[in-house]
Amino acid sequence: MALDREQKEGAEVLLMGNEAIARGALEAGVRVAAGYPGTPSSEIIETLSRFSEAGKLYVEWSTNEKVAMEVAAAASFAGLRSLCVMKQNGVNVASDFLLHLAGSGTRGGMILVTCDDPGALSSVNEGESRHFARLMEIPLIEPADFQEAKEMTRWAFDLSEQIRNVVMVRSVTRMSHASGNIVLGTLPALKGKAEFLCDGPVSDPERGPVISAPVIAKHRLQQEKLRKATALFEESPFNAYSGPEKPELLIITSSACTLYSREAVSLLRAEGRAGILKLGTTWPLPPALLKRHLRRTQKVLIVEEVLPFLEDQVKILAAEQAREIGIKTFYGKNDGALPTVGELNPDLVAAAVGRILGIDPPAIPAEYGDKLRRLTEFLPKRDQTFCPGCPHRASYWGIREALQRDNRGGFVCGDIGCYAMAVLFQAAGFHTAKTLHAMGSGAGIASGFGKLGPFGMTQPVLAVCGDSTFYHAAIPALINAVHQRADITFIVLDNSGTAMTGFQSHPGLDVNAMGEAAPMVDIAALCGAMGVPVTIGDPFELIETRETLNRLLEEPGVKVLILKQSCALSPEKKGKKRFLVRVDDTLCRGEACGCNRLCTRIFRCPGLLWNRERKRAEIDEVICAGCGFCAGICPAGAIRSEEAAKP
Amino acid sequence: MQQQMRDPTEKGNGRGGQKELEEQVLRAGLCTGCGACVNLCPYQAIHHDRTVTLHACDLAQGRCYTCCPRTPADLDDLRRKLYEEMDCTPELGAVKGFFVARAADEGVRRGAQHGGTVTTLVTLALREGLIDAAVLAGEGEGLLPHSVTITDAEVAAKMGKSRFVVSPTVAEFNRICRGDAAKIGVVATPCQALALAKMRTQPVSEVENGIEKLHLVVGLFCGWALSWQKLAALLKAKTELDQVTGMDIPPSRYHTLEVYTRGETIRVSLDEVNPCVREACHSCDDMTAEFSDLSVGSARLPEGWEASRSWNQVIVRTQRGMDLLELARHRGVLEFREPSRGNLEKLKAASLGKKKAAAGRSYAQRDSVERTGQAG
Repeated sequence: MALDREQKEGAEVLLMGNEAIARGALEAGVRVAAGYPGTPSSEIIETLSRFSEAGKLYVEWSTNEKVAMEVAAAASFAGLRSLCVMKQNGVNVASDFLLHLAGSGTRGGMILVTCDDPGALSSVNEGESRHFARLMEIPLIEPADFQEAKEMTRWAFDLSEQIRNVVMVRSVTRMSHASGNIVLGTLPALKGKAEFLCDGPVSDPERGPVISAPVIAKHRLQQEKLRKATALFEESPFNAYSGPEKPELLIITSSACTLYSREAVSLLRAEGRAGILKLGTTWPLPPALLKRHLRRTQKVLIVEEVLPFLEDQVKILAAEQAREIGIKTFYGKNDGALPTVGELNPDLVAAAVGRILGIDPPAIPAEYGDKLRRLTEFLPKRDQTFCPGCPHRASYWGIREALQRDNRGGFVCGDIGCYAMAVLFQAAGFHTAKTLHAMGSGAGIASGFGKLGPFGMTQPVLAVCGDSTFYHAAIPALINAVHQRADITFIVLDNSGTAMTGFQSHPGLDVNAMGEAAPMVDIAALCGAMGVPVTIGDPFELIETRETLNRLLEEPGVKVLILKQSCALSPEKKGKKRFLVRVDDTLCRGEACGCNRLCTRIFRCPGLLWNRERKRAEIDEVICAGCGFCAGICPAGAIRSEEAAKP
Repeated sequence: MQQQMRDPTEKGNGRGGQKELEEQVLRAGLCTGCGACVNLCPYQAIHHDRTVTLHACDLAQGRCYTCCPRTPADLDDLRRKLYEEMDCTPELGAVKGFFVARAADEGVRRGAQHGGTVTTLVTLALREGLIDAAVLAGEGEGLLPHSVTITDAEVAAKMGKSRFVVSPTVAEFNRICRGDAAKIGVVATPCQALALAKMRTQPVSEVENGIEKLHLVVGLFCGWALSWQKLAALLKAKTELDQVTGMDIPPSRYHTLEVYTRGETIRVSLDEVNPCVREACHSCDDMTAEFSDLSVGSARLPEGWEASRSWNQVIVRTQRGMDLLELARHRGVLEFREPSRGNLEKLKAASLGKKKAAAGRSYAQRDSVERTGQAG
C-alpha cells in the first residue's frame, strides 16, 4: 500500500519508513520540499511530489543537495515550513551551506532529513550524518519505528520553530525501506503567504537580514538554541525506558538498533536482567534523563551502528555525573563488544549482550541450516552487472576497445551512478574504470591526473559521469580541467534520467519532479560554452564510438564525448524491444579458437546464456531488452538481430 | 629464429595461446605487426601498426600463437614440406633460380618502386586467373599503409610503391579467407611469408581457416620496417606528412633514407632513421622472404645506383613461382638481363649478415632489459 490522498485521519495503513516521514511532513503542513535522489532517501521526495499542488506544496529534485538545502532554507526564510532530504553523502555536499544556515537560523520550521546507509547496501561509503549535528551544533532526532518516523518528523517542524533553527531527522536504510503499520494523523489546512521580511536590523530574527554574522553573537545565540532543544529533549516522549527497575545491564540505543536490541534481549530471554533505554533525541543528549537511567545499574552497553557517536556522548555525561551516579562499566565500540563497521543485526547484539550477561545465545537448529542450504541451491548465481540492454555496457565496451588499441595503459576515473558498477565489479566495466569516489570526483581526479604529463605520466586519462551527476558536481571540475589545460577525455554517459535511484528528473529533462514541463539545460551546449570540442555519439554504434575515442585520446587538452542512449529501464524503452535477437546455431563457434565464448565469457550481458549441453550461446528472450548491440560483437555473425515490428 | 632452429620443442612444443603470445611476443617487443593473429578471433586487433589485445582469451592453444612468425617453429620441417630439398641453401632458403628482371612497360616501372617486377607479376596472375584476389599493402594516410585486397588487375598495376611501415597483410588475408575469393595471392614481407607458411603446415583447430585458398606468395626483400609513430614524429619535424609521395634507401654507402615530397627530395641520415626501426626487426634473420614462391628486391648493378633503380633481383623458390615468371617472360611483360658476376654471392653474404646480426641480437637480448613494451 502506498500513501495516497484518499486515506483518512485515524486510518491504519502499511507504509514504508520513507512514506511515513513524508506523511509526517504533510501532517506538519510542509510547503516546500527539495532533495537530490540517493538510496535510501529517494522515496520521500517521490511521495511528496504526488501531493504537490500549486500554492500548497512545491516539490523539486534539485541539482544537488546543497542547492536542495538552500531552496528549502529560502522557504523557511519566507516563513513557510520546508524540508530538504538527502542520503548521508548529500549532507557532506550540503554541509558548507549547513554550517552557515545553522549560524543564521531559520524562520518557518525547517528540517533536514538524512537517510544513512550503515553497511553501504547501496553506497560506496558508510559515512554518518549524525556527526554533522554535533559539528554544526543543531539538534538531531532519530525515529526507532515507523509510527515514530511520522510523529518525529511532524514534531521536528515544531521544534525548529521553537528554537528557530534547522533540525536534523536521521533515518537508516532499515528504517527508510522497511514497512510498518501507521495510524494517520490530521492534514492541516494550509495557510500563510510567503514573504521574506528583511527590513529590520541584523539583530532582529523576525525581520532582519538572514546571516551568520556577527559571528560571535550569532554563534552564542545558536548555542542557546541548542540548550533550549536539550531542555525540550529532557521531556520528550521519544525517549523511553523499558525493563526492570534495577537491570543488570542497561542497553542504551536509538534508531533501528532499538529493534535489534529488543529482539536480542528476547532471544536470550534476558528481559528480567537487561533494560533498554531507547533514545529518540540523540544530540544533544538530555543530561538529567541520562542521569536518571544510568543510576539504575553498573553495566551499560551502547548499541549503535558504525562509529561510537552515542557512546562518546553517554561517556562524557557519565564522567561529568560520576560523583552522583557512580563508576560504570561501558560496553560498546571501544571495548570491541560491537563492530565499528557494517550494519548491526539481532544476532550481533545478542552475542554482545550474551557475553556480558554470561548467556549463550540459542544455537541455530541444525535443520534450519539444512533448509537454508537446500533453498539456496536453487538460487541462480548472478553477476552484479548492468541490466540487459544497458547503454553503459556498450559504452564501456567501446572504451575498452579504444584503450586497448591505444595501448598506453589508459584508464577511466569513475563516478557515482549505475556506471560505478564498472569500478565495483571490474568484469562489468571490462577492467577499464579504476577510481570511484564522490559525485563529480571522476572529473576532478581526472583533472589532476591530466596535469601529470610533465612528471612522466603517459597514460591517457578518461573520466565518466552520468547526466544527473554532470549537473550535480561535475561542472566545476570540468571547468577546472578546461582552465588548467588538463589532458583528459571526459565522457558523459547520458541515459536521460537519474536512472540508478529510480528515474527521477534532472535539469537535462523536459519535466520536473511535479510532472510539469520544464526547460532543458543542454549538456553539449554547456560544454561547448567552456570552449572545448564536444562530440555526441551513440554508445550502441561501437565502431564510431571506438574511433572517436581513439582520435580524442591522441589530442591534448579537454575533449568531451557525450554518449547518449536512454536507460533500458526508462519509461520510453521499458518492455519494448527494438530488435528481436537470436543465435544462429550453425554459425556459433562456442568454445573453439576464433571465439571462445566472447559473448558469455567476456561481454556477459545477462540476456545472453551459454547452453552447456549444446555448447552454443542462446538469447534469454524473457530478459533480452532487444538493444541488438551483441549482434555487432559476435565474430562469427551468429547473433542475428532484426528490427522488431512496431506495435 | 636461430634459437628456434636449434630447439623447436622449446617453450611448449610451439603451441600456446594468447597468454603465451603476450608473454613471448607482444610484451617481449618481438611483434612484427604482420597481422597473423588478427581477424581470427575478436581478441587481437591492429591499431596503426601495432598488434593489441582487446580482451583476454583463456584457451590453452590458439592459432594466434601457432601462426605467429615469432613463436617457436621447426623451420627445417617447414622447408621440407614446402620446398624441394635440392633447392635449399643455408643463406637464402630455397633457390630454384635467380634473375634480374623488370617490367617491360616503362609506365609500370615509373609507378613502381624499382623495376616494377612485383606489380607486373601480381597484375599478370590476376589477369591470367592464377589468382582471383591479391592482398597488398596499399597507400594509407599519414605514412600508415593499410592492407587491401585487389581483384582488378588494372588497380593492382597502380600500387607498386615500397612501404616502410608494416601493414597487417596477413590479417587482411585472414579476413578475405572467409569471403568469396577462391585463389588468393599475397605480397608479403619475410615475416608475413613465414606466418603464411606456418598456417599452411601447422593446422591448429578444426575451425576452417581457408589456408588452402592461398595460391601465391610474392615475397619482398626486407631489411627492416619502421615504427609508424617514430617515423611520423621524425618526418613531421622535416615536412608535412601528406606531402610525402614515396621513400627509398639507396645503397649502404649513401647511409641515407630518401624522402620524396611533392616539392623536393629530403635526405635523412640513417643515424636518425635507425632508432625508428621496429624493435622486432632487429631479431629478424630473413632478408629475402625465404618462405615465398618467389622473392623480389632491388637490384645492385655494376653501373651504379641510378641504373639499379630500374631493375629487380628475383629469387624463384617453387615451381609455381617459376611458372609465373616464365609466363611473364612468355607474355613479354617482364624483361630480363644477365645477373652480373658475383651478384648472387653478394646477396648471400648480405643475407648471412642479417642472420648473424639477428643471432647476436638474440643472445644479447637475453640479458637486455631494454624493452619498449609491446611492438613499437
